[in-house]
Amino acid sequence: MAKIEDLKDEARKLLREGKVKYIIGYGAGSNGWPAAPLFIKKPEDVDKLVWDPTCVHNLVRFLVDEKRRKARQRQPDKRPVGIMVKGCDSRAVVVLLQEKFIDRNDVYILGVSCEKTGVVDDTKLAKKLPGKKAKKIEVDAQNRFVVTTEEGKTEVAAAEILAERCLECKANFPVIYDLLSGEKTKRSLDEPFGSLQKIESLSAADRWSFWKEQLDRCIRCYACRSACPMCYCDECVVDSINLAVTAETTADEKAQRIRWIQRSAESSENLVYHLVRAIHLAGRCIDCGECERACPLDIPLRFLNKKLEKEAKELFGYEVGFDAALPALVSCFRDEDPQDFIR
Amino acid sequence: MAEDYEPRIVAFLCKWCSSAGSDLAGVSRMEYPPNVVPIQVMCSGSISPLYIFSAFNRGADGVLVSGCHPGDCHYIKGNYYARRRLNLVKKLLEYVGLETQRFQMSWVSAAEGTKYTQIIKDFVKELKPLGPQTKLRRNP
Repeated sequence: MAKIEDLKDEARKLLREGKVKYIIGYGAGSNGWPAAPLFIKKPEDVDKLVWDPTCVHNLVRFLVDEKRRKARQRQPDKRPVGIMVKGCDSRAVVVLLQEKFIDRNDVYILGVSCEKTGVVDDTKLAKKLPGKKAKKIEVDAQNRFVVTTEEGKTEVAAAEILAERCLECKANFPVIYDLLSGEKTKRSLDEPFGSLQKIESLSAADRWSFWKEQLDRCIRCYACRSACPMCYCDECVVDSINLAVTAETTADEKAQRIRWIQRSAESSENLVYHLVRAIHLAGRCIDCGECERACPLDIPLRFLNKKLEKEAKELFGYEVGFDAALPALVSCFRDEDPQDFIR
Repeated sequence: MAEDYEPRIVAFLCKWCSSAGSDLAGVSRMEYPPNVVPIQVMCSGSISPLYIFSAFNRGADGVLVSGCHPGDCHYIKGNYYARRRLNLVKKLLEYVGLETQRFQMSWVSAAEGTKYTQIIKDFVKELKPLGPQTKLRRNP
């Protein structure tokens, strides 16, 4: 994990000179631990910034909210917003830039590198130290995690508690930044899509029973949608708000409204919702794992998005989030795209 | 499964080629199974993956998307976009465990009435042993 002292100095300077409106970063949670998103408006608060393996959140979601807020204001503050990004989050910024959802001048990117480690997975940590409550996690010189509990310190190998996505991360450093803390070291990956093998090796019937069991549990709270930095459509297919019901709206108009997907949490509707979401994120999902982390029922949503990431790579040679100048996956084509499935 | 099970296929046909191809099959009095519900769309590139999921959701046993041959699109490149997008849809449907035969895509030009009838015949033949599609189907 990179040291962020330089970054703090720079952040302080930015705020003092009024170059940024505010800075979105990570701070200590209400309990002192683990980290939580933090909004800094005053230069003296910069010391509250932290960077440790519990900074799991993808703060890019707040840029989407910021854009909405700005659109509502009559005379918006045009200064950029500072944001702390990890490698995966920086790729989310690239996708938003690629889609021209945000402007490069609207954001000041403070990149922090994970430097061969990454962020921890809560559930893995809880399994590793049953019954104990971690208070602090540090990274030592050998890239091992040192977990401090009430009973003392425990050393844990990185691979044991790292989040699954970090183990399959292609670039654990920011790909776009105005200021970078830490080194840009690429970790070699043997199997970038290794976690998918477990599901892919199953037969079609077994895959179906796996997904049915998983998605049957979905309560349609839409936490996955709320946490996702890419889910910024003004109107979502699952809640059509376009039809303004007024006194003049006829019963016929109400009846004719298209309801693509029903709201009830039945397995067929859940499946269609998650399929639509997966397709919408094809070539856009940067595997930050927020949907899975936000899910109150621990549905492995990441496997849906990761599968499409894999297909995009294998079928079209498309890698998401590295170049904002490239067209998006489904808004371009090549003459030699595979068509062996077409009659 | 009953012997007389007849699958129901929703076919999205592009206006300029495949629709005309199915028309040709019709006016030429070619025989093909009546299991298809054709829906004319302006271009295969206009088909949202949601149409396909929704068709399965409302009880289609199979979905066919048909457009112009590559290079023949009335809108120059609509079918190229469709090819890319629907390839992903096909992979995704396979991944969640829907039978691969249930979603198919074809290129049918306005002159290929025979090819259209053949595709429908093959499609129905492949769907019959699978039985009704219940996985994505909404409960009535």
